[in-house]
Amino acid sequence: MPITILQPALVPVHSTRDESYGSESDSDGGVDLEGDISMRPAKRARRTGDDSIVTPGEQRQEPATAHTQRRTPPAIISSVAGTLSKTNKLLSVRPLRARYTPEIGDLVVGRIVEVQAKRWRVDVGASLLAQLPLSAINLPGGIQRRRTETDELQIRTFFSEGDLLVAEVQQLYSDGGAVLHTRSLRFGKLRNGVFMAVSGTGGGGGVVRAKRQTFVLDVGRAAGGGGAAADDAEKIDVVLGVNGYIWVSKHVEGEGAAAEGTGPGITRIEESVGLNVYSSQNDAIPPGTMREIARVRGVINALVEHGLRVDEEMVITGYHEAVEMARADGDGEETLYLGGERGKRLADTLVGR
Amino acid sequence: MASATTQQHLLLSPAELAYLHSSLSLTPPVRPDGRTATQFRPLTAETGVLPAANGSARVCFADGTEAVVGVKAEVEKRKVLPLSKGHEQIRESDGDDAVAGENDWVEITVEIPGYRDDDSSTVFLATMLSEALLADGEFTKKLWINRRFHWKLYIDQIILISPPLSYPLPLLSLTTHLALLSTRLPRLKSEADEDPMFDDDWDASRFIYPRQSSDTTSATVGSRPPVTLLVMAVGDNIIFDPSKEELAVADSALAVSVGERNAPVDEASETMDVDGEPQAGRQLRLLSVRTIDPPSRLTAPGVPNAVNAAAWGQGGPVAKDPGARAAEIDDVEGVWKAPRGGTKVAILGAMVQKVLEKGGIAEEVLDGLDAVDLG
Amino acid sequence: MPLDTSTYNLALLRIDGRRWNELRQLRGQIRTQAAADGSSYLEMGNTKIMCVVTGPSEEGKRRNQGASSASAAGSGSSTSASATNAADILVSVVVGGFSTVDRKKRARSDKRIQELQATLAKSLAAVLHTHLFPRSTISLSLHILSQDGSLLACMINAATLALVDAGVPMTDYLVACSAGSTSSHSAADERADPLIDLNNQEEQELPFLTVGTLGASDKVVVLVCESRVQVSRLEGMMVAAADGCVNIRAYLDSVVREKGHRMVAEGAVEKGASMAMDIDV
Repeated sequence: MPITILQPALVPVHSTRDESYGSESDSDGGVDLEGDISMRPAKRARRTGDDSIVTPGEQRQEPATAHTQRRTPPAIISSVAGTLSKTNKLLSVRPLRARYTPEIGDLVVGRIVEVQAKRWRVDVGASLLAQLPLSAINLPGGIQRRRTETDELQIRTFFSEGDLLVAEVQQLYSDGGAVLHTRSLRFGKLRNGVFMAVSGTGGGGGVVRAKRQTFVLDVGRAAGGGGAAADDAEKIDVVLGVNGYIWVSKHVEGEGAAAEGTGPGITRIEESVGLNVYSSQNDAIPPGTMREIARVRGVINALVEHGLRVDEEMVITGYHEAVEMARADGDGEETLYLGGERGKRLADTLVGR
Repeated sequence: MASATTQQHLLLSPAELAYLHSSLSLTPPVRPDGRTATQFRPLTAETGVLPAANGSARVCFADGTEAVVGVKAEVEKRKVLPLSKGHEQIRESDGDDAVAGENDWVEITVEIPGYRDDDSSTVFLATMLSEALLADGEFTKKLWINRRFHWKLYIDQIILISPPLSYPLPLLSLTTHLALLSTRLPRLKSEADEDPMFDDDWDASRFIYPRQSSDTTSATVGSRPPVTLLVMAVGDNIIFDPSKEELAVADSALAVSVGERNAPVDEASETMDVDGEPQAGRQLRLLSVRTIDPPSRLTAPGVPNAVNAAAWGQGGPVAKDPGARAAEIDDVEGVWKAPRGGTKVAILGAMVQKVLEKGGIAEEVLDGLDAVDLG
Repeated sequence: MPLDTSTYNLALLRIDGRRWNELRQLRGQIRTQAAADGSSYLEMGNTKIMCVVTGPSEEGKRRNQGASSASAAGSGSSTSASATNAADILVSVVVGGFSTVDRKKRARSDKRIQELQATLAKSLAAVLHTHLFPRSTISLSLHILSQDGSLLACMINAATLALVDAGVPMTDYLVACSAGSTSSHSAADERADPLIDLNNQEEQELPFLTVGTLGASDKVVVLVCESRVQVSRLEGMMVAAADGCVNIRAYLDSVVREKGHRMVAEGAVEKGASMAMDIDV
């Protein structure tokens, strides 16, 4: 069946006649302009019962400095809907969903949207575009020198509009704008794979900050059937940008973001920046690897669609589960599709439902 | 014909484009979301969402693209016919063929937030949809009331996300299809050429496309509104319902409109003979085919390693290599190059064939749409 | 369409059977669209609106592209010199041709729509913490699928829901409700009662206004009155509308909470700190 058409989930009906919203005014329908209608005092909606969710306008009485909370002495009032977190005296609300807010040290995947004279402007899914100064990249060939006018002139040979890169947030402006850098072998231009965008940190069910944002997934078992040649052809790099942008690509030994630790020693890093760092030429990728890349992408999609977090553990378990599922279904490992019903099954298995 | 909607700002890096293109050229193609070549994205559909419209439908793709279509009918007085023609009409009025519609009885508008009403892309979409609807001239006949009056049907379509996440034509077409299926017109009470009077009872209204089950002997049974499917080709692979990324590497793309009309007489006799098999097969008709200019043609090409090296003066001997120069013009494995030139006729033929053949895509899509509850 | 509202005095019931202070049925949903930053769907009786929020985001170069009609709308906070220090709010309203009983196509440049857009943008700018997002834009598009009175109120409520979903910080919910008076302006009826949440029929005949308040407080953010009404009735109408706002806020809040609870239950969001004992003492 090439087309699946689902019934929509029904919108829950709420009647205003529910007791909770019932008007407190007199029921005989009369009105008195002298003001016996409850002209209520400006009282904030209080939390009712044990709610783990706070909503905008909700009052927190404890006087303390608050993050993402507005302070109107003496009350602290939430400004977003989300869950409450407390660090000592600091109250903050983690929003149910919001755009990515950059923090220093975050590993992000971004897309160049604008090239300026000495810098690039990068879409990282935040409320502002991030900047990548020309001085914050490694020059090809690993030369350490001042950036010259020649470099400025050929700025587009490093990155041009549309190019994807993985970088680290180096600095934040007061307005929340991020400055990126790619001065490490782990960072740089992305190739040999596919991109996908899910909601980032701060949004429900997206990429979460973890110990490692990048990892290598061994897919040899599934992809190797056809005798796919070299070792690195059976591995897939997954870069989970903290901002929710994800890159899934073929693993190239000693290259790419997941190569941390396996690369050359610190002293040689600069020297070994190859010419291929700014390449947009893909290597030859065996069909088996492409299939597995699509499968990983499907797994991540299924995770997001069903509101699960996306991190190394979930992706790896999810991937193996998906391979098993394809096998068990009897329609061969070729079945990659993980949308609709299959995605639901996968998600259910993962959370043990 | 170019459509501006396909040229939206979808930035993809040359490396991504090259990867997508090569994975879609495999046999079988590997689509980024793991679908098979003929598989559609799952969608959620409901009809009758708008109480104030004669018919309506809402369709959402899993990725969040969503469209709402409302159909509204108004009674309109027919434009005065030229005298000579008028005579003819009167003479013909004894026969059935007096029932004839005109194309301007249907008006289709497409709204995409952030686009102007007269934006070329929205106009193009509306034209393509109405072209399919009006192609066989059967549809407007349904709007005939009598010789002086007719229904005027307004089909308003709204896309809820801007910019749309994929080329919206198939989405709009499916939504329109469902909206038309759920469209009801009040029952006519007056007779002949009187000023029309309608039954107030909405339960007595008739569907513009009568349902199969309700009355099998009705003259228009089996007729269904057209669907327009988007088909694209990469290499020799034919891929259905492309997502935006996939369309961005298409060698060519076609919008194929298919209608269905079972000849009423045959259907009646067939059901007599073969009992219990009313849907022995759909009689599909190709209504229109349009090529769509895929955005792939406007993408910037990738730069091969050799050329890059030359630019930085790092390549040493490589820079002098004549191969580097050639690489700028020729195809290099793994480097994106926008497709050039036209599509082979054979491929175009195969694309249309795949839609129309028995048990082909159009049939399955129509089967799928049949299953939608028209409540 | 002449309408006989005089029967109100007999049974104190309105045409649709409500009492003066009763809202119509509310139905709301947030996160109706996976792909948008924030989205909502709100029904107040037969007025049905969908709202999609994009942003806050920096448009970059793409600004020129989409500059067509949407940006011509009302940009709320760009009036002052400090425009660059706060986010712009762009509102674009799409009125479905099928939304009214008689089909009427409204062009995007329609004055009425432009006014609605400007009202909405201005009032949201007052409530949202736009200063947190300098140089960026929050754009809302509202799709009116069906209209049956209280259009502005419903638009404001739908926009608020979508913005909460998008996680844009705000002082409090911005909620709005319309209120009318039982007899027309010309009938110098001293005993006119206020009515809340008017439907289309009532709006045709009766003087009415729309009040938007900051959450459940009496702080009025929006007040739109386009009909002639005796000043003596104004207070009663506003009070009644503010009372309606309190109830609407409670409903919107329940929609948001329900969604939040479901997300916590699904494990999409970490549970909040168990603070029940520390706070609200």
